[in-house]
Order: sequence, then C-alpha cells, then structure tokens
Amino acid sequence: MTPIILCESVCVAYGRQEVLHAVDLAIPRGILLPFVGANGSGKTTLLRAILGLIPVRHGRIVTPFHRKPPGYVPQQRVIDPFYPVSARRIIEMGLYPANGWWRRPDAAQGGRIDAILDRLGLSGHQHKTFAELSGGMRQKTLLARALATDAEVYIMDEPTSELDERSEAEVLGEFRRLVHEEGRTVLMAYHGLDHAAGLSERICRIARGRAEIVDTATARADAGEARRSPGGGS
Amino acid sequence: MIDVAADLVRSFPAPIVAGVLTAAVCAALGVFVILKRVVFIGIALSETAACGIAAAWMLGLPPMAGAMAATLAAVLLLAGPFESRRIPRDAMLGIVFVATSSLALLLVSGSGFGLQEIRALLYGDLILAGWPDAALLAAVLLPCAAALALFGRPILYTFLDREAAAVLRVRPAAWEALFFLLLGAVEAAASQTAGTLLVFCHLVVPASMALMLSRRLYVVLAIAVAGAVVATVTGMAVSYRHDLPTNQTVAAVSVALLVAAALAKGLAGLLRARHRP
Repeated sequence: MTPIILCESVCVAYGRQEVLHAVDLAIPRGILLPFVGANGSGKTTLLRAILGLIPVRHGRIVTPFHRKPPGYVPQQRVIDPFYPVSARRIIEMGLYPANGWWRRPDAAQGGRIDAILDRLGLSGHQHKTFAELSGGMRQKTLLARALATDAEVYIMDEPTSELDERSEAEVLGEFRRLVHEEGRTVLMAYHGLDHAAGLSERICRIARGRAEIVDTATARADAGEARRSPGGGS
Repeated sequence: MIDVAADLVRSFPAPIVAGVLTAAVCAALGVFVILKRVVFIGIALSETAACGIAAAWMLGLPPMAGAMAATLAAVLLLAGPFESRRIPRDAMLGIVFVATSSLALLLVSGSGFGLQEIRALLYGDLILAGWPDAALLAAVLLPCAAALALFGRPILYTFLDREAAAVLRVRPAAWEALFFLLLGAVEAAASQTAGTLLVFCHLVVPASMALMLSRRLYVVLAIAVAGAVVATVTGMAVSYRHDLPTNQTVAAVSVALLVAAALAKGLAGLLRARHRP
C-alpha cells in the first residue's frame, strides 16, 4: 500500500545541533499514529517538518498536502487569548483552504461547523472569545478548527495535554472515529507510551534523533526491558 | 462647544476633513497594530516619514515622495520574518527610530530655519492643512482603508496564529507584508499633515480604548474609529476656542477619552460586583 507520508533520510537541525538524523518513515494511510518519545526527543520537530513549518537539512518528505492541506492542532499557547474573536471565528479559519480570502462560509460549511461544535460539546461556547474559554475548551476549539478543514491527514501537537479525563476520552473517541469510520490519518505527539498503548496498535517511537514505526506491544516490552536493565529508568 | 465646533467647520473645513480621515483610518489600522503587538512600529514609521520629508526638501523633491520612499524602504526592512533572527523586530524598530529621527533633524539643521519652522516642516500641523493636503490624504488613505476591509480576514488569521495560517495556505508572509505596506503608506501620507505625535496617538490610543471595552472585532473597530473621530473634532474645537496647539490638544483629548473609558469600565465592574448575590 502506498504510504500517505514518506520521510527519506530526513535530517533536521537547529543551527549546528542536529535534532533528527536520517529518519526514514513510511506512514500508511488511515492510521492513528502517536509519536512517542522523551521530552526533547524530536517528536514536535518531526511533526513540524512534515507540516513544512521547518526546513529539512537533508533528505525529503513527500506528503499529499499540495492537494489538500492537513488539519493542524498546535499547542494552545500559540493563540493570544485576548484577540477579540469568537471560538466560531477561530474554527472558521479551517475553511480558508476551501474559501480563500474572498468567500464567506456558505450554509453547508456552516452546518458542518455546527455538527463539529455539537460533537465536541462546544455549541454553547462558540460565541465566547479564547480568553473566556477554559483550557480544555481552547484545546477543543483548535481541534474543531482542524476538523473544519476536512483534511486527509490531521497533525496534532499534544492535543490532549490540557484536557480532563472525560474530555480526553471524548477527543480520543473523535480521533478513532476519524480513522475507523472516515479512513483519515491522524498523527499526534503524545505524552507517554502507556497512554498510547490503549490508543493504537502501532506508534512512532522517537529516541536519540531517530524514528521508527513499531508495534505498541513491542515498544512496551522494550521499554520494560530498558527499565529492568542496570542503569535503566525507574 | 457646539457653536465653537460649527464655527471651526466653517472656518477650517479642510483641516477637519484631513483630521477625521487620518483619525478614522489610523484607528482602524491601530487595532491590528496592537493585536500584532508591534506598537513601536507606529512611531518608528512616522519618524521615517519625517526623515523622508527632510531628504526630499534637501533634494528639491515633493515631500510626499520622500515620505513614501523612506517609509516603504523601512517597511521592507521591518516586514521580513524576525522569529528566527538574533536581533528581534523590536530592536530593529528602535534602530530605525533612532537613525531616522536624528537624521531628519541633521538634514535640515543647516537650512537656517528656527526650531519651530523645522518642526512644522517635518512634523506638520493639522490646522494648517489645505484642500490639496486633504485630497492627497484621501487619495492614499481611502484605498488603504478599502484594502484593510477587503483583506482583513487573512491579515487577522496571520496575526492570530501564523503557523496554522501557513499550514492552511493563508500565505502569512505576503499578508503581513501587505499590512505593513498599508501602514507605511498611511503613515507617510498622514505624518506630514497630522504630525508624528498625532498619527502615533491615533494608532495606539483609540484602539487600546476599544480593546478594553469590547471583545468583538467589528465592535472594537467601530469604537476605535468613532473614538478617534470624536477626539479629533473635540480636540480641534478646544484648540480653536483656547488657542492651543492643535495636534497636541487632539492627542490630549484622545488620552482623556481613554482614561474616562477606563474609569467608566472600572466603575461598572464595581457596581456589578456590588449587585452580585
């Protein structure tokens, strides 16, 4: 099966410091793939390189984003909460690839946004500004903006980091629906192997500047072994 | 005061038109300047325009041509992405401000004019605006206002979340450059007539007041424009009635409006808190 995203010998560096070394990845279509690694391992860097937000020093990344841009969920800190715009206005930003700068959202797009708001439990908060929303609601607003793009691929940077347990379960349920019912691809930086285990059969494991897609069970066994070995983690 | 205002309109129609145009367009742009958090660019571009006027005066060129050329050059320097550079945009703005404000005075210091004449030459006086000045302002400011209305959405998206905008193909670098070009053109045109202080005041003060009073963008824009226009007409009437310097009086009235709005908002908050069960 042709991968939807292909990384070939990708090296990414900040100045002289190389963060990713010769990463080769073939990400299949229709998969929920958590990117798991320690802080500073390069999860976010790899996702940002795939998004085209940072240049690769060597190698190449092949994506379908020239046809249709991805749905992107950044960490919520990137939005200044004091912007005088409502949550709905922020979500409508996801319609930009379809509408450009000149067209207003039509009735069908408005209906789609209403449905997304409903699924994420945001309907009653759509007219609030970012400052008036709780951390969880802000995260869901950014997720709703990504969903509004109706993309083939969704890329998310710690999308559940600010959510309580119930909201996290709702959001993860939405990701599963995207993958299993609609055949979309979801890539997300995620905070731990144990959490990722219940989410997907495979993960993208990132360590020491290298990345590989492995079975979650294998990754957990390797991690357990590393913890048991002398000098391993706790 | 209404009689004074009516008398002012009869006696100085061109300064009123020039003042209202400058106030309205600068206030609308100012909302985006504050949201983008590049307030210092307002004063830096005004000083650059003054420097351009001084250079044009030395070379025998039209002042507006000098102001436009200098301001657009500064915009090109400042519009680039500064996120990954060692010198941030704020520092570059400071360098441009220091360089242009000193160069402007150095250029005309050998002219034999007194300080007041030099200030009038470089920094303008609203009450002295004639119909040609008002027409020139309209020719530059109205298209810029129309462009802001037309392209407000992608500019807002660019300022709101630059990375997501890039992913969504908003082309943030292009919209950011367009915004700074509009700002540069407005500042170059307005600084010569309304002066550096007043243009900076209209960019910052009414927009701050509006952002304090509302959390809806269209309401913010409406309050900013209305506040700037009210401050301009009131300030010009006060300056006419009491023979005060026009630009400074308008700026003082604008700040007084901001303070009054802040006090009213604080009082309303206290009253709400007292009536809360």
